[in-house]
Amino acid sequence: MKKHLIAAALSTLCTTAVWAAEPTLEEKVQILQDELDALKAQMAQMTKPAAQSNTASLPAPLRADSPSSIITTAPSAIVNAGPATTIGGYGELNYNRYSNNGRNSEADLRRFVLFFGHRFNDSLRFVSELELEHGVTSASDAGETEIEQAYLDYRFNDAVNVKAGLFLIPLGLLNETHEPPTYYGVERNEVETRIIPTTWREGGIGVFGEVAPGLRYDLGITTGFNSGKEADPATGYREWHQEMSLSRAHDLSVYAALNYRGIPGLLVGGGIFSGNTGQNGYTDRTTPQQPLLAGVSARLTLWDIHAKYAIGKLELQGLYARGNLGDAGIVSAAESAVAGKNVAVAKSLYGWYGQAAYHVWQFGDYDLAPFVRYEKYNTQQTVADGYSADPLNNERVVTTGFNFKVHPQVVLKADYQKYKADNSKDRFDLGVGYMF
Amino acid sequence: MPPFSHDESPGMISLSTIRSLYRMLAPPAACLAVALPGPAAAAEQAYLEPSAFIAQAFPGTTAQVKLLWITPKIHAETVRILGHEPAQLRQKYWTDGEKSAWILDEIGKEDAITAGFVVKDGHIEQARVLIYRESRGGEIRYPAFVAQFEGAKLADGLYLDKQIDGISGATLSVNAMLRMSREALYFARTAAAK
Repeated sequence: MKKHLIAAALSTLCTTAVWAAEPTLEEKVQILQDELDALKAQMAQMTKPAAQSNTASLPAPLRADSPSSIITTAPSAIVNAGPATTIGGYGELNYNRYSNNGRNSEADLRRFVLFFGHRFNDSLRFVSELELEHGVTSASDAGETEIEQAYLDYRFNDAVNVKAGLFLIPLGLLNETHEPPTYYGVERNEVETRIIPTTWREGGIGVFGEVAPGLRYDLGITTGFNSGKEADPATGYREWHQEMSLSRAHDLSVYAALNYRGIPGLLVGGGIFSGNTGQNGYTDRTTPQQPLLAGVSARLTLWDIHAKYAIGKLELQGLYARGNLGDAGIVSAAESAVAGKNVAVAKSLYGWYGQAAYHVWQFGDYDLAPFVRYEKYNTQQTVADGYSADPLNNERVVTTGFNFKVHPQVVLKADYQKYKADNSKDRFDLGVGYMF
Repeated sequence: MPPFSHDESPGMISLSTIRSLYRMLAPPAACLAVALPGPAAAAEQAYLEPSAFIAQAFPGTTAQVKLLWITPKIHAETVRILGHEPAQLRQKYWTDGEKSAWILDEIGKEDAITAGFVVKDGHIEQARVLIYRESRGGEIRYPAFVAQFEGAKLADGLYLDKQIDGISGATLSVNAMLRMSREALYFARTAAAK
């Protein structure tokens, strides 16, 4: 390693290459001095042999017999593969002003997320995402601190990669790609919040890769939902996901997804997730078993199909998602027994949306794109016999607004959301988001 | 009922789950048997060796290796394009007098992407992803994506004069390619002007 670096430095000094630019002698000396300083600093930092195994990360020596030589394999920059440990992140600050329900108007540091990654070698890496929601996390505040991803990823080749740990389930468009500059609207869309419980992650092991150019598969076995946890019919099965926090793992789930991205601007795909949720009646280690759920499968299956397409300045996007729960009558009875009132757990739920955006003005990094989105969903499409659905959960939403990017990774957003069934949710939203 | 007095079978997975698992994992298991390389075969992420890229960029001709010194002025313009300090203090390139070839690196989300660009008469003649290291977003290496760069020139403000359609889920990799294409065009223009 050091030999490479020294060779690079020496050959750089010795190289009598023809340079096209003609800096002054002082500038050349300064540039060489800067380069030597950078190499020294780099050598001092290189303490992990594994990170050096990628030969492309080394400054291969320039050939001393230039300028007449034609080809060397020397990569261009001093450090090619980037640092072994990386930090990234995203975040958003939102303002919601309700038209008919002023007390709900609020401003919120909705998410502050940091990514930490580490590349052990060419094949093995660690990926993580640490999220703080709502600004403050304490016993008396609504904020939460969450690990949204923490997994190891081993790459065999393009077709076979294996990951193990806590990772995002590949359903829908938003769940795996949820950084604010990547979607339209201040708030995440309702269908991928209430039907697909974004940001949805489970612990387990998965296999993924490309089976044909642009065609990616995902398969795996993970933890699943727990139908013994308190349900909120307005958000479908969302409250049942366990977020890998002492998750009950009596019942596990499986997932599969297929997505095609082989044509620029196009994404077509779908995914399915299925598993029992009864967890034999246990919600945690100390709460007594819920006898109604003992031995009950309560199989939950969620699936979706989705597509995105960009045609010139026009962007179109659509998604359909559906969920079904077995033993919904037993689960409803169990939920009702705990809540002390009737809780009508959905036997089935569904939602879909269509969205169009148009880039009306682009100048340099600036990009202004108005959009409109129509969503229809019912988080209690069917319920068990003897239970009745809340009509407010059969909803249609029109969201109209714009995203204004001041940089490809920094966005200002504004929109208005009109709810057909429950107009107390009608609101004007403002937001700022970033990713890096 | 007190905790831990249940009669469940801890760790048991329902038969239906096992059946589902078998159905879902059988195809990849077969795939694993065929596709997994031996332990000696490390992950190969170099889709085109840089040397091969240069060789095919100048078929039948002799290209000279040259250096572009990143002088303070060039450095400042490169920072404008990249949004950060360039890693290199001199940039090597290859030229046959008519066109020039550039191999550049830029970090996408976590890892560097190595790409090659051939520039002729101020426009990109060819763009290729040579080494891709991220676990997602590798679709940028396909011809359908990189072919969009062909013919692109620098417009005002050192931006491309044409729109490049992105890859869903690969925003940061696409952005890195855009920055590198602008850097290559700018370097080529600067080198040609000397």
